[in-house]
Amino acid sequence: MSDWIRVCASDEIDEEDLIRWDHGERSFVVYNTEQGYFATDGICTHAEQHLEYGMVIGTVVECPAHQGRFDIPTGKALGAPVCVDLKTYPVKVEDGQVFIRV
Amino acid sequence: MTDITTNAASSGIRLDRKRLKAIARRSDRPGLIYLAQWLAFLLATGSLVVLAMGTPWVWPAMVLHGVFLAVPAYAMSHETAHGTAFRTRWLNEAVFWVTSLLYMEEPLHRRYTHTNHHSHTWHVGKDSQMPFDTPMDFKGWLLEVSGLALLRFHAKVLWQLATGSYSEIMRAVAPADELPRMTRNARLFIAVYAGIAALILAGVAWPLWLLLLPRLLGAPVMMAFTLIQHVEMQENSPSILESTRSFRSDRLGRFLYMNMNNHIEHHLFTQVPFHALPALQTELRAQLPAPDPGFWRTNLEVASVAARRSLGLNTRAASIRQAPHMITEGGFERVAQRTM
Repeated sequence: MSDWIRVCASDEIDEEDLIRWDHGERSFVVYNTEQGYFATDGICTHAEQHLEYGMVIGTVVECPAHQGRFDIPTGKALGAPVCVDLKTYPVKVEDGQVFIRV
Repeated sequence: MTDITTNAASSGIRLDRKRLKAIARRSDRPGLIYLAQWLAFLLATGSLVVLAMGTPWVWPAMVLHGVFLAVPAYAMSHETAHGTAFRTRWLNEAVFWVTSLLYMEEPLHRRYTHTNHHSHTWHVGKDSQMPFDTPMDFKGWLLEVSGLALLRFHAKVLWQLATGSYSEIMRAVAPADELPRMTRNARLFIAVYAGIAALILAGVAWPLWLLLLPRLLGAPVMMAFTLIQHVEMQENSPSILESTRSFRSDRLGRFLYMNMNNHIEHHLFTQVPFHALPALQTELRAQLPAPDPGFWRTNLEVASVAARRSLGLNTRAASIRQAPHMITEGGFERVAQRTM
């Protein structure tokens, strides 16, 4: 298992919002929701669009391209046009900093 | 042919992320107000049909009722296909089903072909929602505006889905796991339509006078709205500004069409709900071409261009935007065959 990596200060992500976070060749999205902070892969499983401009609605993220929706905590695809779940990653907040384990 | 996804980025349009987020914020309220207003209009125009029954006025009354039935049914089916009409998902999906029944397209087929349309807007061989041959001639215009071509397409799609005879386009745009669900839905749709037909044949008159005939009679106005989204525009362009048309509209048109006269804006940022499209238009105005003239003038110019094209005359329109290759004289080269 890899180590925790710092993403940003927790107040850099607005409530009910997300930020894009790139690490090496990979791209992720980190969310601040009413249930806490979460992280998923950055690319939608439907048409390979980045979720960077996606909408966070409660604990759901909506892809900006075709409005496919995923449950943020589990990554579960919530119906057409998305059928394949997003991969999720552990996130923790310590001393006002958001960390991800990828 | 470009292989990139057609959207704001491919069109060189920029909007601050936080501003976009504020504009695209979701709410149930505008959609519920719209539904209430739509139902009130249907009640009023339906009452006119009932009052005019037995007189020649029943036909114009049915046309009016049909316009208020067909155009918002299309618009709401489209908006809910995007999932942007309501914040609450189950409400969005329930309205999506009902309006798709009125529009006569199986919901998953509608959603998957439409996502494809946004990914590859007006790209020949890729866009599954090119509803007419381009450039359009007068025969194509008649087929489109009458609603007959779309009716034939929707009947064919329902039959193909119900019998499991999936087309290449269906297999290309929808995951294989979804096809059986589409078959189930199509059979359900056919059962509903068969039930309505059985009622009419059994002598129950209201579905004929308030639903079936108005839906058919209202179709030409619905088609006139959708026709001008892309007609005479550029095929195979990465830029939505070149492939898509916005047009000015009065208050009634904006209501019936749920602000989709801002069609360039919709294609650039599909996550923006119908009620926020005017705000998006204001935000982007400096980056966009001026909208074409209103609904009637744009449609009259399109009809005129299609007729002149069939006659071999000059096809330059008086004021609407046209792709350069659409302007010809003495013949034209077909660029795309319809995919609907």
